[in-house]
Amino acid sequence: MNALEVKNLCKSFGIVKAVDDVSFGVPEGSIFGLIGRNGAGKTTTIRMMMNIYLPDAGEVFLRGEKVTAAFKDKVGYLPEERGLYKKMKVLDTLLYFAELKGKSGKEVERKAVEYLEKFELADRKLSKIEDLSKGNQQKVQFIATILHDPEFVILDEPFSGLDPINTNLLKEIILDLKRQGRVIIFSTHLMDFAERLCDHITMIDQGKVLLSGSLKELKSKYGQKHVSLNFSGDISFLKNHPIIENIEDFGSTLGIKVKDPSQTQQLLKLLVDHNVLVNKFDANEISLHEIFIHVTGKESENVF
Amino acid sequence: MFSKKTLIVIKRELRDKLFSKTFILMTVLIPVFLFGVLGIQTFLMSFESDSGSQLAIISENIDLTEKLQSAFNEAPIVKSGSYKVTFETQTKARFDAYLDESKKSILDGKLTGIVFIPQKAEQDKKVEYYSKNPNNNTLFNKTRNIINQALIDLYFTGRNLSAEDITFARESVDFSSYRVSSDEKIEEEGFGNQVLAFLFTFLLYFSLIFLGTMMMRAVVEEKNNRIVELLLSSISSKELMTGKILGNGITGLIQMAIWLLPVIVLISSSIFVLPAEFILKINLVHIVYFLFNFFIGLITFLGLFATVGAIFDNDQDAQSGVWPIMILIMIPFFISIAMLSNSENPIATVASMVPFASIIVMPARMTIIEVPLWQFALAVVVNVGTLLLIFPAAGKIYRVGILMTGKKPKWSEIIKWLKYKY
Repeated sequence: MNALEVKNLCKSFGIVKAVDDVSFGVPEGSIFGLIGRNGAGKTTTIRMMMNIYLPDAGEVFLRGEKVTAAFKDKVGYLPEERGLYKKMKVLDTLLYFAELKGKSGKEVERKAVEYLEKFELADRKLSKIEDLSKGNQQKVQFIATILHDPEFVILDEPFSGLDPINTNLLKEIILDLKRQGRVIIFSTHLMDFAERLCDHITMIDQGKVLLSGSLKELKSKYGQKHVSLNFSGDISFLKNHPIIENIEDFGSTLGIKVKDPSQTQQLLKLLVDHNVLVNKFDANEISLHEIFIHVTGKESENVF
Repeated sequence: MFSKKTLIVIKRELRDKLFSKTFILMTVLIPVFLFGVLGIQTFLMSFESDSGSQLAIISENIDLTEKLQSAFNEAPIVKSGSYKVTFETQTKARFDAYLDESKKSILDGKLTGIVFIPQKAEQDKKVEYYSKNPNNNTLFNKTRNIINQALIDLYFTGRNLSAEDITFARESVDFSSYRVSSDEKIEEEGFGNQVLAFLFTFLLYFSLIFLGTMMMRAVVEEKNNRIVELLLSSISSKELMTGKILGNGITGLIQMAIWLLPVIVLISSSIFVLPAEFILKINLVHIVYFLFNFFIGLITFLGLFATVGAIFDNDQDAQSGVWPIMILIMIPFFISIAMLSNSENPIATVASMVPFASIIVMPARMTIIEVPLWQFALAVVVNVGTLLLIFPAAGKIYRVGILMTGKKPKWSEIIKWLKYKY
């Protein structure tokens, strides 16, 4: 069952088609990744899902019903570029954003303080935002995203600009939300994170959906006849070898596609026979990064 | 457009603005500044530059000189010591040389000026004045009558008239000066309202620009900081814009009411008795109109300033892009100030009923002249109509602009935004 259904969304800015007939479903209780390079149309799609932009065409359905303005109250949103009122106090900021989501009163205040304690900010609740370090401001933003107990959490490039501590903190928050059965949607251009966190993904490029589905299914579909190799030594003998269909270099790993699934053992033997030191040999395994390159035929922006 | 969420935004804006240092400081400082300006002006006027004037009066006729001397010695300006006058009798030919000799003392400021009364003046009353500052109206006004008296005396002395006749003739001069003083009385009656008209104009001008710029900055900050995206994930851009504008509008209204409190107290109670020349000829209905007019105007201009703020993503660009709106405030301001010296100025009459200008010109106009009721009504209709007309467009530009970052948009692009489906 899909919690959210995006159907045929389109959006143009002048002559630029930012989002072109995008459709996908977000299953209940999943971590859903919207994946693509910068400028692929991820943020525009998310903004349309949130009703920040009106789509030129297409609709978004929440459990079978067209979304309304009330949907906004059910969503916790963390935009890519995050800002807060500099002169506002930490606790006031949290309560203001919660109130805009329709939650106010003692209960929310108690919860806000609880979160601040959890994130080691309890002593700063009366500080102005501008007096906080950037890392601590990000923590306040995380709390503002989830304080009103949203059913859906939408994170746009959540890991950009985070230090390692906050990156881990956010990962914990995401996994914690998943345990509570919340639907988490995030967009990212970082394939590694998506691969580790998501159950389902939709990959978009130049405003169009390239592929969509559960990560497991996609991997088994694209992973057939595929070997992910980590090695040292000379492998030039594999060029034009009869069992090899093609070889792609992803930097840290090599993606090798054999002609027939039964030939993977033969490939391993060949490597050992040619004194190639094999560090990792993953048969029928493919990374999201490799899938991306496979479907786009282009190198992604690999940050790592 | 208006919802519970709008109220939350209004609440935050009020808390943010009403208790901000800038707001409190401005609320206190503006009256101090205004009274300071008025005080300095009054002080400067009381300290008229003509005190200590050194005047030389030269006539060609010794009889006239004597008469001038006695007339001046009787005059208060000489008695009080603010004018020192010397008298001499010289022919026209000698006078030219005398003028040459006196040049240095005139330029040094030792001598304020020389009044030369030629022989002919005994017929046509045309006198000459030589000075470094020849257009000294204060001096002319103060000496004119005295010289006139002496000339009349002289004119009738040779004509075998009785003293009674001469007194009679001089009476007529007094009669004409009475008319002048009756004029002065009218002017004094209006003086309090003149001050009020200036006050209204200045407060409107200042308040619209100050609050508008503050609003623009706040919108630029929200856009620049990307808070706006977080806000828009909770509320619609219309709710946000309405909330911000109403919040700031109410703030402005409260500030204006505080500033007008002394005026309200003065016209509605008899505790304070003003000197007759300062009596304010307005009533509470005028004040209510003023505040209503101000609120409508403020909402209109806050909408415009917010729109400009949404177009640009930094303060510098916004400051340089806001000129069309500044002009809408400044031109009416100048019209209003010009009207203070000519209350029947037709431009002011028209401006008081024209969109945008009406907001600043009408309040000043109503304090100095009786404005017909239909003109008030028209002004209200025009102002509310303007507000209703520009808001949909402003809201659209705001909605598109607030999420546009990067390149500074061209005006032609902004027009295109109006056609976007948002």
